[in-house]
Amino acid sequence: MAMHARRGRSVGYRLSRSGWEIGRYAVLVFFFLIFFVPFIWVWSSALKKSIEIATDPFGLPDEFCWQNIKKAWTVGHFDRYMGNTVIYCVAIVGGVTFLSALTGYALALLPLPARGAILLTFVLGLMVPFQSVMIPVYYLLRDIHLLETYWAFILPGIAFRLPFGIFLMRAFFRGLPSELGDAARVDGANEWAVFRQVMLPLAIPGLATLVVFQFIWTWNQFLMPLIFVQRDELRPVSLGTMFFFGRFTADRGMIAAGVTISMLPMIVLYLILQRRFIEGITAGALKS
Amino acid sequence: MAELSYETTRPATRRAGRHWARYRAGYLFVAPAFVLYAVFMIYPFFQSIYLSFTDWNGVEPVKTWIGLGNYRELFHDGHLWEAIKHNLIWVVIGTIAPMVLGLFLAILLWRRPRGFTLFRTTFFMPQVLSSVVIAIVWGWIYNPIFGLLNEALDRIGLESVSRGWLGDPDFALYAVLGAAIWAETGFVFVVFLAGLQNVSRDLLEAATIDGANAWRRFWDVTVPQLANVVTVLGALLLIGGFNVFDIVFVMTAGGPNNATEVIGTYTYTEAFTQNRIGYAATLSLVMTFISLVASFVFIRLRERGEA
Repeated sequence: MAMHARRGRSVGYRLSRSGWEIGRYAVLVFFFLIFFVPFIWVWSSALKKSIEIATDPFGLPDEFCWQNIKKAWTVGHFDRYMGNTVIYCVAIVGGVTFLSALTGYALALLPLPARGAILLTFVLGLMVPFQSVMIPVYYLLRDIHLLETYWAFILPGIAFRLPFGIFLMRAFFRGLPSELGDAARVDGANEWAVFRQVMLPLAIPGLATLVVFQFIWTWNQFLMPLIFVQRDELRPVSLGTMFFFGRFTADRGMIAAGVTISMLPMIVLYLILQRRFIEGITAGALKS
Repeated sequence: MAELSYETTRPATRRAGRHWARYRAGYLFVAPAFVLYAVFMIYPFFQSIYLSFTDWNGVEPVKTWIGLGNYRELFHDGHLWEAIKHNLIWVVIGTIAPMVLGLFLAILLWRRPRGFTLFRTTFFMPQVLSSVVIAIVWGWIYNPIFGLLNEALDRIGLESVSRGWLGDPDFALYAVLGAAIWAETGFVFVVFLAGLQNVSRDLLEAATIDGANAWRRFWDVTVPQLANVVTVLGALLLIGGFNVFDIVFVMTAGGPNNATEVIGTYTYTEAFTQNRIGYAATLSLVMTFISLVASFVFIRLRERGEA
């Protein structure tokens, strides 16, 4: 029936069909510009001379001028901010992923008393905003002399993200049959070996999702470093960019360069690992 | 399953050793995460509740117990109600606009037409930016002197509309919202795109044969099958809207003249500039409470809608 209808399409139908197509692409291109033009504007401003920015703010640069990028990298301290962000990302992404896998596995497949209560305690953490703990954590860090050290972002950063990670990893491990470990147990492997050698390799797809999610979160996190690691030597890129903006407000070439440096690593990574990013984000959203 | 194994080991409490032997691995695997979580989440949360009953400036050793004083102050604090009003505006527009735009774009790209990857890549791109970057870029776009927006308005003959968007108390909140919607739409879009993959084509075909027009097919066949996705996205955007801080803080810091103050920025200011720790803790709990209630109500409403 449907086949017949399709075969019998008239000329008029085809015309209106192509009209639809043109309309669709007009709308898509319009949104493409809305999402893309701001990037082009900033990137091209970063590569212009200051005079050119003043005379022709919206055109593409006549010739590439790397001066601003270089200056932002050194004078603007982006070299340091970038190094700090790498430290935070490695520590927090690694910490959250490892601890979530460990805990998620135990909550899914190991015998544990009061399992439900432990899970609930963690899951409740998904529902409270960071603001509800930020003030006491600030004074706690001050009292144990960790304020204004790398740990001041790393430890609360891991703790705050554990609920999400554990929730995700537990869901993942529950999908695996628990008998998988039994063969290894019969062979005398201890629980750590079972986890490390049998279960963890099977969890790689789940871990990848978590890593992507956690990486974007850590890279872009702003409020935690704003409160806990204000000192210039400790600032990650997100926070550093804000202070950089305050320092060079009038110099548009510099600002554009700083913003470009700040976003570039993420954009490049995103373009390379697009599908991972999008699938990771989608899976994470739909599972929560 | 969990309860079962718990019950069967009840007699084993006679011998703690056996209990330990059975559960050792579980305990050891959960312990590191639990300790970290207890120290930096559970304990501070209760500490927040305690602080909300005190008057403290963060420096003095003594925290003065004032009972419900802070809670009473909430009701007379015009500044707070102003902020809540802004949060409500933010939540309504900031939830609906990305949902509508995201769904619209997802439907345009549903059948993966030519150029699909390019469009998807671009629409999602703002999602990997930090809110600081978004705030600075959009601060530029809104700039009264060299901003892209005023330039565009001038070119299409709407000079009269152009203004200093972030400096105008009547427009600042909506301007910041615009930037947030720009950033959030790509996320909503990809989630809807994934959701649409599960929409049954057979049902759509059947509806077509039954003579349903495109609008009816969309509204009566497609949307109901996306109910689950709508719930999740709605809850996420809602919670995000009540907790918003970064983008407002960097773009306007709550100004001009408190026109963009939200609970997030107000709490921050009270805690770390005014040093009114007790009251700030109370505000942070108000924030927590509102976002809990909002997400709960939303999920309930959806459940009823599905039933």
